[in-house]
Amino acid sequence: MELDELTLNTIRKHKDGVFQSELWKEMEIDSRKCSRIVTKLITDNLVIRESAVSNGARTYLLKSVDDTKASYDDLLAGDVFSPCAGCRDACQPELCDKLSDWILHLVNLEDES
Amino acid sequence: MNDLNDPVIRGYLTRLVGEDGLVMVERMPEGEVTDEQIAEATEVLLNVVRRTLFIMSENKLAVCRRERDSNSGWLTYLWHLDMTDVDPQLAKEKKKLTKNLALRLDFEEGNVFYVCPDGCVRMLFNDAVENEFLCPMCGEDLTFKDNADFTDALKKRIETISEK
Repeated sequence: MELDELTLNTIRKHKDGVFQSELWKEMEIDSRKCSRIVTKLITDNLVIRESAVSNGARTYLLKSVDDTKASYDDLLAGDVFSPCAGCRDACQPELCDKLSDWILHLVNLEDES
Repeated sequence: MNDLNDPVIRGYLTRLVGEDGLVMVERMPEGEVTDEQIAEATEVLLNVVRRTLFIMSENKLAVCRRERDSNSGWLTYLWHLDMTDVDPQLAKEKKKLTKNLALRLDFEEGNVFYVCPDGCVRMLFNDAVENEFLCPMCGEDLTFKDNADFTDALKKRIETISEK
């Protein structure tokens, strides 16, 4: 298995992402090599990188693209996006009509399937 | 830029800036541009462009740079879209939705509901008692509403969100 593939699999193993500062230690490679592979994986759209802090030091949190895309699908009920996104109503979720409509979409999807 | 055809990203942007705003995002010119240039290039109304840019910037999806003209002293605001932060923003939305769904599930499981058969109202048991089980809008008899399908759908979605 190539090192790129091995790195991607290691990142995929961490569901919530892995810090770059921990990744190279886990893979037992040097940080410079790790950085080059990660850059290549980002260019290939296989991994995303977010600024993060680990043990007080600035680093990057790496997540595999498959994981993140799949996980955000839950914000959709069919083709309707979560009504809470960008919502400015100071509502109570217990009584919110927009949220009720969205949940009814979920119910309809269940019925259809 | 992230794929605007991705249903999640498309849904998110539509929810934030509306259909008109999404048209602006799709037709946004390359590089740093003023709001007026955007309106001209995208054929979207200037007030919609400004509203969209404001919301996008508030959600860390647009960047604005201020430039002062050395002769006139006038300020020019130059904009460009930066979608690199869309994933952390979606993560925040997911967290917010999970919290709200959990609150809603508690409420749905802890209460009994009555509805008007004509669809006017949905009431808690205590409110239905106060209204003598009559719809305050049309006077029809209120009927018990089993919310099992509602709570089941809620539970299922909360479960799938927390699994990922």
